[in-house]
Amino acid sequence: MTTVPVPAPEMTVGRQGHYAGAASRLVAFAADVGAAWGLYTLGVALLNAAVKLITGHSFALSNHQGIAFLVLTVWEFFYFTYQWAVSGKTLGMALFGLQVVTRRGGPISGRQAALRTIGLAFTLFITLGIGFLGIVFQRERRGLNDLIAGTAVVYDWDARAARLRWIARKERPLHRGQHGPGTEAKRA
Amino acid sequence: MSQSRWSPVSNPIGARVEQLAQSLAEHIVPLIVDAIDIDAILEKVDVDKIVSKVDVDKIVDRVDVDKIVERVDIERIVERIDVQKIIERVDVNAIVDEIDIDALVEQTELGSIIARSTTGVATEILDVIRSQGVGLDDFILRWGNRLVGRRRRLATWPDGPPLLVTPKRSIR
Repeated sequence: MTTVPVPAPEMTVGRQGHYAGAASRLVAFAADVGAAWGLYTLGVALLNAAVKLITGHSFALSNHQGIAFLVLTVWEFFYFTYQWAVSGKTLGMALFGLQVVTRRGGPISGRQAALRTIGLAFTLFITLGIGFLGIVFQRERRGLNDLIAGTAVVYDWDARAARLRWIARKERPLHRGQHGPGTEAKRA
Repeated sequence: MSQSRWSPVSNPIGARVEQLAQSLAEHIVPLIVDAIDIDAILEKVDVDKIVSKVDVDKIVDRVDVDKIVERVDIERIVERIDVQKIIERVDVNAIVDEIDIDALVEQTELGSIIARSTTGVATEILDVIRSQGVGLDDFILRWGNRLVGRRRRLATWPDGPPLLVTPKRSIR
């Protein structure tokens, strides 16, 4: 039995559709960077192995810096753009219950997904992360990449199911199979 | 007395006698009725014997139940029922105790719902991280804006996009 207390409703069910904050988005982004990098490494390893298998010569993409950088860039662009275009959430965002939506709250388009990815790279490498301060100080909690693409990030996790799980795991004073006082005679 | 061929017009004596008899009856019959002790007669009547001779099945067969039912106003009967009192007398806990939860889970979709929702440690950890993340988000938002002197303005900020969250009403 877990000892995690049931969180207050305003912390779970009441937040669905609300703008997500900096901490949640940072953790989700970190998960995405890890996932994208992990998949890239796996892909490169498979490519090296395949080339060696086919040609008989050993091959390492890392020996070709330019091509490796290009492949990585294309891969990162594809990783974020495709997932945002299809479902509005990347692997990291799905894990931590976030979703990208339009400024009004509807699903985003492929164009917005691509713009957001480009905006993300711009904010990260050109502004050195300063563009992300908008998540804390902007009225709609939108960073520079959101402003470029016309998007926002909201909480999307099934908090109601989570709350039911917490309640289900809570210890009860009378478990099933036990009976209250006065019922033993009736059941005998 | 058989009906006479003679009419009262042609038989004045018969008519006169009839009138006399009628008058006598009107005077004598009430006297006789008053003199009769009905209770004494009733005490001598064996009601059980009378009832045992009555064929109830035949009486019931002649009763048109549908017509009786049509005349019953169910709405008025229902209005007079105090449902709250009936509910108070029902022991819900006793009913719940009788429910076979295992059969309920096996035979309904409840089992699949529980399976989807109770997925173990990983889900529990995720739930904790998400809820803690929400708390941390609030903390950063509140203190970050407090540092730049915008603490009070936060209350006017929208909670979410207009399609997903009802906009806050402005308090004047």
